[in-house]
Amino acid sequence: MSNTSTPPAVALGGLRKHYGDVAAVDGIDLEIRPGEVVALLGPNGAGKSTAIDMILGLSAPDAGSVRVFGRSPAEAVREGVIGAMLQNGTLLADLTVAETVRLVASLHRKPIPVERALRRAGCEDIAGRRANRLSGGQAQRVRFAVALVSDPALLVLDEPTAAMDPATRRDFWKAMYEDTAGGRTVLFATHYLEEAEEYADRVVLMNGGRIAADGTVAEVRAVAGGRTIRAAVPGADAAALLALPAVTGCELRDGRAQIATADSDATLRALLAAHPGARDIEIAAAGLESAFLSLISE
Amino acid sequence: MNPTYTRLEILRMLRNPRFLIFAFFFPVLLFLLQANVFATGSGPEKSSAVAVIMVNMIAFGAVFASMNNGARLTIERAAGWQRQLRLTPLSGRGYMLGKGLTGMLLALPVVIAIPLLAFLAEGVRLDGGEWTRIILGIWIGAIPFVLLGLLIGQLVTPDTLQPVNMGVSLAMGFLGGLWIPVDAMPDWLRTVSPFLPSYWLTQIGRGAVTTDLTRGLGLSAAVLAAWAIVLGALVVWRYRKDSARA
Repeated sequence: MSNTSTPPAVALGGLRKHYGDVAAVDGIDLEIRPGEVVALLGPNGAGKSTAIDMILGLSAPDAGSVRVFGRSPAEAVREGVIGAMLQNGTLLADLTVAETVRLVASLHRKPIPVERALRRAGCEDIAGRRANRLSGGQAQRVRFAVALVSDPALLVLDEPTAAMDPATRRDFWKAMYEDTAGGRTVLFATHYLEEAEEYADRVVLMNGGRIAADGTVAEVRAVAGGRTIRAAVPGADAAALLALPAVTGCELRDGRAQIATADSDATLRALLAAHPGARDIEIAAAGLESAFLSLISE
Repeated sequence: MNPTYTRLEILRMLRNPRFLIFAFFFPVLLFLLQANVFATGSGPEKSSAVAVIMVNMIAFGAVFASMNNGARLTIERAAGWQRQLRLTPLSGRGYMLGKGLTGMLLALPVVIAIPLLAFLAEGVRLDGGEWTRIILGIWIGAIPFVLLGLLIGQLVTPDTLQPVNMGVSLAMGFLGGLWIPVDAMPDWLRTVSPFLPSYWLTQIGRGAVTTDLTRGLGLSAAVLAAWAIVLGALVVWRYRKDSARA
């Protein structure tokens, strides 16, 4: 990793953090390449925010290492390499939107013009408004502008759309997407699986402080759920279907079978050989949601 | 220090009506009221009484202005704003120093306005050295109160901020002799008062306007410096503990 010219945007090695007896982050290895857009998924308490805090240098790991573009988080922050929207953050009630972004810009060494940050985050129309008179979605956009103003190479977003309605959420991701066209690396934590499916190049699924799955959306789906075959199979019995190759589960109702399989090609060939009368065959990929559920229930 | 940051920090406090009322208008009005109601007699006797009131009210304004800003630290912590600032090159030390500096700058208007009013409207006449001792002395003497504000801001939650701030302010005001000049104090209060730093802050200026019940400038400065060292150490200790926990 050190012999490549550009170090990874994020490199975590054996990362651990305990709170009392609870292992919030229990040994994570993760490497994010520059330019990747990575979704960090997981149920509440999976360790997402704890991991993010350590990447940002807001808390120190008990063990393991964190490097951001080859630097320590503190160095990366000092150089303005990291921009972040933190969870549960609010804004200062006594400053306007533009003043808030200007204040943060004044602290950075090489900020972009405040107006540009406001425009990119879609906050121009509310620039003169006090922060305590913003809707939840507007406040998030302002915090996005705050995160962007240092022109960070790595943008970390901890549940950025939690307070937004669906339309605002779409606008937010549109702004995000346009912004990352320039090759910015993005790591975002989210509860919304569709956001991960739609906007991330890569999904990292955390559960119980560990990484349960890591790959493209298609890979993560495959790891967990495989595919589902649905067919009308006259005269079949469940035990026989379960015995087919690669089958992981089967449900039979009124002559219609729903078969979960890790290898749909093999299962289908065997099914048709054993039951030539099978018809109305559908094969579907398991959604990220079922992948998610099956992985976190393990 | 970063001028944009400092300017916006000051702007934030000036937008806060509570701050303006308690740390500026209230001391100014109280000065005018007391100067016209309680300062009796005429000629030099009255002028001296007005000057004593002036010193007390400058100290009152300086204490409130400098303390309030730091105490609001707790609001920024609760709002997650401190975490957001930790993602900028501003260090924790820079943040605290910035708050301290802002507190000092916020004390300036009242420290200047009251002597100006005393001179223009109440006929107080002092020589240059005496004015300098009062204005500059009380302003610099506000440093321990800036630190006290920072310490309160680190220790309380936004819910307990108001009562704690009020309690400390009342102690400084009543017991420390900001509101009741030492001349008018009952004996027990004259015994208690020197235990509070606000008593010594009034003493910094008092010696320039009267010789009654005064303490030496050097002693007053030394006591305030001791307060500053102790409070400063507590602020640093608490700050380290806070960042270690995060």
